[in-house]
Amino acid sequence: MTELHDTLVEFVQVLRTADVKVSPAETLDAMETLDIIGIEDRLLLKNSLSMVLSKNPEEKEAFNTSFDRFFSFNKFSSENNAAESGEDNAQDDGEFDPESDAPSQQGGQGDGQGGGQGGGDEASEELDFDPLEAQSELGKLLLSGDRMEVMIKMAEAGRQVEVNQIVVFTQKGLYTRKIMEAMGLKGLQDEVGELQDQGDRPQMHLAGKLKGARDYLREQVRDYVEKQFFLHADESGKQLREELLKKVKLSNLEKRNFKDVQEIVFKMAKKLVSIHSKRRKTFKRGQLDIRKTLRSNMQYDGMLFDLKWKSQKVDRPKVMCICDVSGSVSNYSRFLLMFLYSLAEILPKVRSFAFSSDLGEVTRLFQQSKLEDAMAKTMRDYGNGSTDYGQMLADFRSHILKDVDSKTTVIILGDARNNYGDPKSEILREVYDKAQRVIWLNPEPKSSWTVGDAEMKKYAPCCHQTEVCNSLVHLERVVGNLLRVAV
Amino acid sequence: MAIKNDDKLQDIEAIQGHFDSLGYICSVEIATAVFLAYHLEKPVLIEGPPGVGKTELAKTTAEMLDLPCIRLQCYEGLDESKAIYEWKYGKQLLYTQVLKETLGEILDGATGLAESVDKLHSFGDIFFSEEFLEPRPLLKALKAEESCVLLIDEVDKSDHEFESLLLEMLSDYQLSIPEIGTVKAIPGKKPLVFLTSNNTREISDALKRRCLHLYIPFPDADLERQIVRARVPDIPPKLNQQLVAFIQELRGMDLKKVPAISETIDWARTLILLHSESLEPELVRQTLNVILKFQEDVETVQSELQGVTNRAIKAS
Repeated sequence: MTELHDTLVEFVQVLRTADVKVSPAETLDAMETLDIIGIEDRLLLKNSLSMVLSKNPEEKEAFNTSFDRFFSFNKFSSENNAAESGEDNAQDDGEFDPESDAPSQQGGQGDGQGGGQGGGDEASEELDFDPLEAQSELGKLLLSGDRMEVMIKMAEAGRQVEVNQIVVFTQKGLYTRKIMEAMGLKGLQDEVGELQDQGDRPQMHLAGKLKGARDYLREQVRDYVEKQFFLHADESGKQLREELLKKVKLSNLEKRNFKDVQEIVFKMAKKLVSIHSKRRKTFKRGQLDIRKTLRSNMQYDGMLFDLKWKSQKVDRPKVMCICDVSGSVSNYSRFLLMFLYSLAEILPKVRSFAFSSDLGEVTRLFQQSKLEDAMAKTMRDYGNGSTDYGQMLADFRSHILKDVDSKTTVIILGDARNNYGDPKSEILREVYDKAQRVIWLNPEPKSSWTVGDAEMKKYAPCCHQTEVCNSLVHLERVVGNLLRVAV
Repeated sequence: MAIKNDDKLQDIEAIQGHFDSLGYICSVEIATAVFLAYHLEKPVLIEGPPGVGKTELAKTTAEMLDLPCIRLQCYEGLDESKAIYEWKYGKQLLYTQVLKETLGEILDGATGLAESVDKLHSFGDIFFSEEFLEPRPLLKALKAEESCVLLIDEVDKSDHEFESLLLEMLSDYQLSIPEIGTVKAIPGKKPLVFLTSNNTREISDALKRRCLHLYIPFPDADLERQIVRARVPDIPPKLNQQLVAFIQELRGMDLKKVPAISETIDWARTLILLHSESLEPELVRQTLNVILKFQEDVETVQSELQGVTNRAIKAS
């Protein structure tokens, strides 16, 4: 059973990369489960492991896809194949079985490849000669169609050649070949050569089948190596990847990393929430509130024994966030908004606006729909057109300025590139006077803030704070500061 | 583990069969969960929308194994004195009174304060012995001699603190009572524990880690028909088909609360009472309030009633 357990541990690692949180204790539970139910019944195995390892509907979904992918050397289309391979396993308790009867199970292999071999069972039954049996060990194994065995064998070979040492992507081919060799590729090749030399129909048939199986196996191994690469190559794994992602420029992020980044943002937000969500009581501290004290002690004939203090209860900040969603900046806006909405617990009053020229409120959109949808809709509605900060500010004054008060923090995220239009910085000045703070986040490096059509020079004096902001670390700092000032 | 009737838990088909005979039609997943719960000695955390038979599963398991079902209904503010144990204060007080009267006799012969206190000490612990302990559901379940099924219902309604209280019980089947020590389950008679949750809040990882996690979704049409047939045996097959098809249609709609299995069964009973043989739009309109619990939902459905009914009739 130890090979099985090793395979299970690998499966758990795959699960972890698929964002299913599996603790070591749960892994042990899974092994125990495996011992009880065995591996004969695939559905049972899946159901049981799913209960032990995945603990909410999202995880269950991830589990299902991972399970199918991980234990999918080839697809068994007919029940009867699965049952047979199950029996094999039952007889020899999961050991590698070179004698498993190949002909009866060729169907599974054929289905897996589709195309030329596609007929499966029926095709081989219609043959007018007795199908030959493969002689080489690997050939037998492949034609037996026993996916679990092949998986185990492949994993074993992988361990032999230390595939977990893979560092760079270009090593993929190398490791694929190494694993194939460790699994006995040479024997198989020789056999195919021999069969082709003999050239009779049964031999050719078998050779063709073996070649097909070999190519299929190669694909599988390549997949496996790729998986291993994703598992092990990124240096010490996820943590480091997250660290890297935090520092990487947001505009350089690739789509496939978005999910990771979202998770990081969520984590960062959670951290901030836990730091800031406790409002410490500051009564009995600070300044004596003389007016209040006198008033409340009037009933005691002016004897001051019930002292009143100026309690420092500060309201949560009201945040208004204005995001440039024109192409160059939209990535940053996306993450800023993500951040702010992840903070919903301690920042209940976020209003967000998006513009390229005309300003529109997207608060409800972001509260109601998922981030991707909301972002997509925002881009659709506001993303087109050239950037016009003047128009944006004018819109802001006419619609929203009345809601800005001394407790409001206004965050503007944009590159301030105004296409040489009127910047209307006087409106920003008005905002500056009314709001508690105006923060301008600019994804461009400071050196280019005044180059070309950038208007930071005019806007900067009307802000309390201007910051370069182009990575998650920056974002975290800005948002953290925002909360520190407020709480 | 060797509890009464454990031969009924031999394999998954057997479990399904026994549940069947008790009128609880279950999917393979559910049976697997019960099977694993028993063999791995682990609690099962059951999640799913309301009305899919989460609580019923625990009750049926108890019935199948002929074990007592001890139920702990969770709510906000539930604490250890209601879940684990409480001291019988009244009895303690009474005994104190009795002791007071006989104090003279007890202290007879003692000279000096130190000696008296020493003598009293020998009585002190009596007040915190099992005699004075009022066991609450969790402790009761541990001490059950013939094992039992412990149902911790709607655990998501309780506070975070209470979840932590459960951890010791769920992982080691033991409870610590400071004055007495640790109470362990009788070896081989560990209770079968079921926890249910409606997911009104996320259950902590610590708790989830200790449990098997079973998610019961709404059943598919086939399973639901079987359930209706088991629960309402008088139902004509045609009506059953149409009824289930209709409900399945509703679940696809954008409703505030979609009808669950319990509502399907209620509706089936209603229709039987009205002696109807098949689904008709007018009939559906009149009885819609059995399956829909919000006026908004009723209105939404009524506007599309004709279409949905026709589709349901056609589908069957």
